[in-house]
Amino acid sequence: MTSLAEGPALDLDLFSDAALTDPFPLYRRIRDTAPAVHLPRYGAWAMGRYADVRGALGDWESFSSARGIGLNDLANAATQGMIIATDPPEHDTLRNVLAARLSPKALRDLRADIERRADELVAPLVERGSFDAVADLARAFPIMIVLDLIGLPQDGRDKVLGWADAAFSASGPPGPRTDAAFPLLQDQLAYLSGIEPGALTPGSMGRAIYDAAAQGLIKQESCVPLMSAYVTAGLDTTINAISNAVYYFAEHPEQWDLVRQDPSLIPAALNEVLRIESPLQFFCRVATRDVELDGQTLAEGSRVMMLYASANRDERKWDDPERFDVRRNPVDHLAFGYGMHGCAGQGLARLEGHSVLAALARRVARFEVGTPRRRLNQLIRGLDALPTTVHAG
Amino acid sequence: MRIIVDEARCEGYGFCAEAAPHLLELDDEGELTVLTEQVGQDERADAEAAVRVCPVAALKLAP
Ligand code: SF4
Repeated sequence: MTSLAEGPALDLDLFSDAALTDPFPLYRRIRDTAPAVHLPRYGAWAMGRYADVRGALGDWESFSSARGIGLNDLANAATQGMIIATDPPEHDTLRNVLAARLSPKALRDLRADIERRADELVAPLVERGSFDAVADLARAFPIMIVLDLIGLPQDGRDKVLGWADAAFSASGPPGPRTDAAFPLLQDQLAYLSGIEPGALTPGSMGRAIYDAAAQGLIKQESCVPLMSAYVTAGLDTTINAISNAVYYFAEHPEQWDLVRQDPSLIPAALNEVLRIESPLQFFCRVATRDVELDGQTLAEGSRVMMLYASANRDERKWDDPERFDVRRNPVDHLAFGYGMHGCAGQGLARLEGHSVLAALARRVARFEVGTPRRRLNQLIRGLDALPTTVHAG
Repeated sequence: MRIIVDEARCEGYGFCAEAAPHLLELDDEGELTVLTEQVGQDERADAEAAVRVCPVAALKLAP
């Protein structure tokens, strides 16, 4: 292994409470040190600059997912065969099943319904005046929308979010946080394995997975991992995007005014929230050959953390990256990843995010927030509670 | 220069067509059409923008 570790190194702990609370100064040190920096604690490298991360994500032949996207062997073994941990051709077969239901075309018919449900959720909250933007809004909405779309039976739904959170955190480095999360990932898989296909709502995305297996398009053993992809990826990310939006608009009322004056800025505003506070901080890739990066050689076999959240604040790419600016419209941010593994659910996530922001923009003149409570997860950055008061208008 | 669509990867997000509406068009069926066979020098920046915004890297520029 030592031969892999030649090159710039930093003895950083990215997973302490302090680091998870505010990782951005550490990301900056990584970016400023080299294109790829060795982190001896994890036996891995970290890539933090936009151009390199994007380049690597677009080059699956050099940066493979098939050896796992996490920082510990147990999680990498447990996620084997899941779509996030595959390369073509296996990846493409699985992706087609998801894309058939998640592509913008497939989602078109859902738009009106999702917009209406956003409105029905937001209206009474605004009337109430005070609520927790995480529990009452940001969590309530995707849980209702996404779990209905997957077609999960009501029974067990209350546990799904905790499992999703753990399924991400389980891919951190070996240590107590990973140890605590890993059994929950297994619980999630056990729960999903226990669902009879017939118990999934007819016509749902979940049922479509089993239909695809029945038609021989995918292997039977791919069904539970694909279900896991839906229930894991479909929640935390959108939840954090929505609660972060409330937080940023409370802190930047002039930006909220811009959105209200011109609701066509809503997609740009969501992109900016995702850029500045990327819910998913990183996934790993493994170099399949020696790769040249700006004068540095990354050895074959190196495991590399792709720091999406760092790339999205890279001063080499973004002008004044710490500034929250809804007019920036950073369409090429990496919060959804990029390339072949780019988030398959991003169309749905966007639809949910736009619908909630639009419903808020119709009713809320000002947000006021109390002290947010952070939720510490090794891969996902987000809030656990955000006391919010809104002023209608 | 030409724009090449990897049809197996394109999922119809349409960001490319928003970035370069005179070069690319996404129809109601989610089919992406390249409107201009040969991208001229003056359209190069738009073509590059279209390639850049595709979230799944389904577009390429070829000489
Ligand atoms: S942006 Fe990419 S996925 Fe979307 S329509 Fe264009 S080529 Fe297809």
